[in-house]
Amino acid sequence: MSIRPILSALLRNKTGAILVAVQIALTLAVVVNSIYIIVQRIEKIGRPTGIDENNIFMVNTQNYARNFPFEATIREDLAYLNGLPGVVAATTINAIPLSGGGSSTAYFNAPGGKGEGVPGNYFEVTERGIDALGAHLSSGRGFSAAVIRPPVQRTSEFVPEIIVTRDVAKQLFPDTEPLGKTVYSQLSQPARIVGIIDHMHGSWTGWDKVGNVVLHPVTSCCNRISYLVRTKPGDRDRLMPIVEAKLVRTSGRVVNSVRTLSFYKDRSYSDDRNMAIFLSVVIVLLVAIASLGIFGLATFNVQSRTKQIGTRRAIGARRRDIVQYFLVENWLITTSGIVGGCVLALAVGYWLSVHFELPRLDLYYLVGGVFGLWLVGQLATLLPARRASRVPPAVATRTV
Amino acid sequence: MLSYNLRLAFASYRRNPTLTGLVASAIAIGIAVCTITLTLYHALSNNPIWWKNDQLYAVTIDSWDPERPDNDKHPERPPPQLTYKDALALLKSDIPMRKVAMFKSTRVLDSGKADVKVKRMDTRVTTGDFFRAFDVPFLYGGPWGAAADQGPEPVVVISKEVNEKTFGGINSVGRTVRLDDRDFRIIGVLDTWQPAPTYYDLNNGSLENPEDIYIPFAWGEALELESAGNTNCWKSEQINTFKDFTNSECVWIQFWAEFSSKADHNRFQSWLDGYAKDQKKLGRFPRPLNNHLYNVDEWLDFNEVVTKDNRVLVGLAFMFLAVCVVNTVGLLLAKFLSAASLSGLRRALGASRRDIFQQHLVEVIVLGLAGGLLGLIFSALGLWGLRLMFASDFDQYASLTHMDPTMMGAAILLSLLAGIAAGLYPAWRIGRIQPATYLKTQ
Repeated sequence: MSIRPILSALLRNKTGAILVAVQIALTLAVVVNSIYIIVQRIEKIGRPTGIDENNIFMVNTQNYARNFPFEATIREDLAYLNGLPGVVAATTINAIPLSGGGSSTAYFNAPGGKGEGVPGNYFEVTERGIDALGAHLSSGRGFSAAVIRPPVQRTSEFVPEIIVTRDVAKQLFPDTEPLGKTVYSQLSQPARIVGIIDHMHGSWTGWDKVGNVVLHPVTSCCNRISYLVRTKPGDRDRLMPIVEAKLVRTSGRVVNSVRTLSFYKDRSYSDDRNMAIFLSVVIVLLVAIASLGIFGLATFNVQSRTKQIGTRRAIGARRRDIVQYFLVENWLITTSGIVGGCVLALAVGYWLSVHFELPRLDLYYLVGGVFGLWLVGQLATLLPARRASRVPPAVATRTV
Repeated sequence: MLSYNLRLAFASYRRNPTLTGLVASAIAIGIAVCTITLTLYHALSNNPIWWKNDQLYAVTIDSWDPERPDNDKHPERPPPQLTYKDALALLKSDIPMRKVAMFKSTRVLDSGKADVKVKRMDTRVTTGDFFRAFDVPFLYGGPWGAAADQGPEPVVVISKEVNEKTFGGINSVGRTVRLDDRDFRIIGVLDTWQPAPTYYDLNNGSLENPEDIYIPFAWGEALELESAGNTNCWKSEQINTFKDFTNSECVWIQFWAEFSSKADHNRFQSWLDGYAKDQKKLGRFPRPLNNHLYNVDEWLDFNEVVTKDNRVLVGLAFMFLAVCVVNTVGLLLAKFLSAASLSGLRRALGASRRDIFQQHLVEVIVLGLAGGLLGLIFSALGLWGLRLMFASDFDQYASLTHMDPTMMGAAILLSLLAGIAAGLYPAWRIGRIQPATYLKTQ
């Protein structure tokens, strides 16, 4: 099949083709960049957290009575929670992982540390902390019960030992084995690294150092006490109301909420999720509209060329020649749109990366978008093209 | 002439209802996508107290670390909150008409009624000027005065919702409620108050509900309350008591000032700089002098309430609308050209090119408006869907997805522009046809 006649026919009646090409160009630019953003968001949401997030729930309590016996209450609560059939482990914790709220401080690899230190999102947990989080220790050990600091209202005292993630360890000691090393607080108090967690996310899912997590052996205190409870798979939802019913019975305090860790995680990622959903809807609508435009142009061309098609059929063109003609014509139009679209897509990608600090558009997405639009164009043309192929040769012999 | 053109337009719609429907839908979908993204953008960039934009200012002092700025991405910005001791010092200035020092905390509310559950409440610990400065409406009673701030007196303002849940909505002023382990007398009950975004404290998101309970600022120190919002510290300091904490360089207090004139604003700015210079002599504020008063618009910008995602979405939505418009141009061309013989006939009977152009432009404008109306319905459906999907994420998602008259007007205007943009070329083209071509073959 020769392209020349198709091209010259196209050039005789450019307007429709130009309009479709412009649509293709805009569609390519929007779709490619949107998909790129969506994929980034899905990857971000799906990152492993290093926490057994699906089997954990939080119990957030607040006591208000004067001289509330929080130390005894915490002891009783932890004994109850850890003894409950179906519970793997429970700990008090000062902040909820993945929730957007938490505490951080700086750690130094030498005393009297100058400069910035390594920022670490710290969690105060008991000896059951590692088990409760479901975090994986790659080396070293967890905290022993003896080292856990009892609850105190306010203190500048540091802790004797800490557990850090591999991320923190690498930043503090890039060249040496970090296990057993001493790190220092801002006030130059020492603590020994007794365990290394492979990987774990902290509180702020939008932070570029979300994996900078440190565990402190401390029973958190005093008015607001949160428990992190990890259950056996499938037991979480059953245990939540049971635990709440038990804990509300203590007088002088209220249970603010009992929620799954997934609840907090979903909330933290809601912006990313919403963006992905919104962009997906836009892509679907956009491709639908572009297909409609292609379909409309092809239909219009078939209608206005009925007589020519009849003539070609009469002088020997087969049905598939007619179908092929329209498919090639569409391919030419789509391709010209794609050429413009590639430039536009890169321009939009550049604009997004400069003004919105998104990573520069990955070219694989552009290649994928090009093939996708070729396919969409061919599919949208197929129906009118087949209708054209059914034009009987006899049409050629009739006047309009 | 217009009514004749309108009649022709409607005849044309009837002649080809499918194509007409497609044109209207293409415009409608483009408008809907734009309207939805613009509504989200508009809601977030909304200034809920625009009438005080020249009076009300968030006060900041750069008390931060000499080694590094508070905000790495915007090193020129001071931290958004103040230290406790600076807040106390600023409260002593009599230049501002109103001064609000505050932070968010939580208290457990016990109304003493057996049938009302004892519950944790979000509590704002603030100076009494809060209510007048932010124009908070009262249903019963009113704010506390300066004396109550000094005492501090055990007075409390409760929200309308709390009043309804606890007292069944009656005038509860004068009654006593227990907050944690202490009795407070109700001095005021708020009316419905839902500023969106919650500009006065943006530490914990911009679409939170306002607090349930309000108590005088001095209770913070008396009861040793800490912030349930955001506390940031940079300095290595021993903090073993609450006193150490209030004396520290940790920032956790939000501070606002309201001025009766621009002159007062300027006077306060220089007073603030003078205060900072005095403190520098005492060895504090190691960074260069950088004290700012931000009005509400600037404050919303400072806190990046409108996210980058919102802006990206608006940009993409307009590209989407462009595709819809180009699509519509194609559809309109096909539509007009399929009825070209009628225009040929009109031309032969004496209509000028201008007449034909006008006729088709009217047809397109009406179609554009119809598309706009349809688009409004689509947007309402889309926003309703968003509300259903995401209502649980934010307290105030409803207000975010509420389409106000401005947005409706914008949508109609946009559809009008889109209709004209789409119709201009096809209408011109149909005006240029040679009448003879179309008369011959009939």
